[in-house]
Amino acid sequence: MKSDNTIIELKGLTKRYGYGDTESFALKDFDLTIKRGEFIMIMGPSGCGKTTLLNMIGMLDRPTSGEYILNGENVAGISSARQARLRAKKIGIIFQDFNLIQDLPVIENVALPLVYVNRPRTVRLKSASEALSRFHLSEREYYYPHQLSGGQQQRVAIARAIVSEPEIILADEPTGNLDSRSSNIVMEELKNIHEEGNTIIMVTHNPALTVYATRVINMLDGQIDTDIKTVSDQNLPQPINVKIKKNKKSKEKK
Amino acid sequence: MALLLRTHYKLARTAIKENRTRSFLTCLGIAIGIASIILILSLTGSISRLISNEVSSIGSDLIVVRPSTSKDSVTSIVEELTSANSFNKSNLAVSDVETISKIEGVTNVAPIAVSINTVTDDENTIASASVLGTTPEFINIEPLTLKQGTFISDKNKENSVVVGHMLSLLLFNTSNPIGRTLVFHEHRYIVVGVLEKIDKSINFDNVDFDNALIMDINELEKNVGALQVQQINVRAANTDSLAEISSKIKDELVAKKSGDTNFTVSYGDNISHPASTLLNIISGMLAAVAGISLVVGGIGVMNIMLVSVSERTHEIGIRKAVGASSYNILMQFMFESLILSVFGGIMGLILGYVLAFLISIITPFQPYISWQIFVITFCTAVIVGIVFGIYPALKASSKNPIDSLKHL
Repeated sequence: MKSDNTIIELKGLTKRYGYGDTESFALKDFDLTIKRGEFIMIMGPSGCGKTTLLNMIGMLDRPTSGEYILNGENVAGISSARQARLRAKKIGIIFQDFNLIQDLPVIENVALPLVYVNRPRTVRLKSASEALSRFHLSEREYYYPHQLSGGQQQRVAIARAIVSEPEIILADEPTGNLDSRSSNIVMEELKNIHEEGNTIIMVTHNPALTVYATRVINMLDGQIDTDIKTVSDQNLPQPINVKIKKNKKSKEKK
Repeated sequence: MALLLRTHYKLARTAIKENRTRSFLTCLGIAIGIASIILILSLTGSISRLISNEVSSIGSDLIVVRPSTSKDSVTSIVEELTSANSFNKSNLAVSDVETISKIEGVTNVAPIAVSINTVTDDENTIASASVLGTTPEFINIEPLTLKQGTFISDKNKENSVVVGHMLSLLLFNTSNPIGRTLVFHEHRYIVVGVLEKIDKSINFDNVDFDNALIMDINELEKNVGALQVQQINVRAANTDSLAEISSKIKDELVAKKSGDTNFTVSYGDNISHPASTLLNIISGMLAAVAGISLVVGGIGVMNIMLVSVSERTHEIGIRKAVGASSYNILMQFMFESLILSVFGGIMGLILGYVLAFLISIITPFQPYISWQIFVITFCTAVIVGIVFGIYPALKASSKNPIDSLKHL
């Protein structure tokens, strides 16, 4: 049953807000198994628990009850210090509103996750520079975020998410603030990252983007409504022998 | 680990640089507090140095007996400030001098009792002259030199006095008043000697000799009645037996006073502690003021750190989302407040010594520099940084990443 390439397993995950009369569930007995290499799009109406789910997977929030098994380890109850360390190593997060630190130049923003996995400064800047060149932003390294367009900012954010070579990329409506052209660029980048064998979990409102996904989950009231896989588990791209860094500069587009 | 600490340090430095003016003003708050501490340490240090220089010039064979107060410090402060006489209520008596002088190994004994009284000449009246009562042996112990005449002796002590340099000028309008007479408590005394100008109002006797009138202690007691002995100076035959002699003095006096131990017997470096409790009170008050300004400075640091934390809530959220632990955030902000306070400490050190130097121009207090002062300054600054930085840093580190990300 439990195959080797299961990366995330959620069992009865529940997030409750309030008590008694005001009790409401953002997630209710949520079960989900995610395989390595899946590109999952989570859709659903506002308030159905999509973002809460993403925050749970990113360990930014703790469930009221239930299990979260990441790489075979239940991480729902571990200390926040250990969660932070796992987050630094294994999870990259992309936000709708980019969330770049405005006071830091682009390259420092991209290098930020490496601060928390104890890399020396030169290594950090080198990795950040490589990640940026992958997204055709090499000339913008010492720009500040506000000097970039929305699409560029989001690509910086994606570079930040992959710089520490995480296994899982979480994206919360990454195209929500972008025009359609930038949107497409960003989605193409995510697609490339996915093809290298990364697991991506993305929340979106835009049904048109589901063409990129290998699996589309519709949520309703904190539970799974529909769950459609478009690519069989055997055909998922796997990360074996693939490193993000090695594929740099092989991509088109600007 | 060391790597991460360095990163925290760099982050904090960047944050401080971004808010130059604000950071500088915060540092200034700390600097003022530290500067006043430096000033006090430098002043008290230079006073002790003045006195210990004096003690070492007298010789190392000196033993000093002083009364100590058993009262709580508040009453003694009030008494000190309200009493006209600038010495403690003493339990030493004139008769103790004799007791001490009988102890083996003691060569000279001289008490010091000061009474502030009116002294008149035919022309001038000094309303509050320090009249010092002692014995003829006083001159053998003290580093005093007579400009003219002789010190009081056993033969003439009933009617002779010695005057200080300044008092002589004020009273007789001359620096050579030998043979002139003055009136003290309706008794007429002949001036037999004048002291050389000393110009050191701070000494281990706590007497300003330039303005003093010296007479025999029995004579003084006869005139003013109950007399408080402020100090008894003892010169020992040799320096090796100081400990032995001083413990003997202590035992004898305790026995004589039926168990009363409200006095101290000190020798060597212990003598150099300023004799005056007034001096202690003033430096204590200055220290309290310095402490208060340091606390105010510390609150300034805390205030600025709280502002900084709330301004950077969004940044904290981002950092946590990319893998910073609460500890990382805590350290980042702790380093920021530490840098502020240590930098303020360095500014304070410089400011303090500049002030100490300015003071040394108009007073005899030379700036006193020692490694202890540097260590104290550094430790104080670090402690202030930690104490007042911990709360904002904890506040920053305990922020919820999701809420922080929404905070713009």
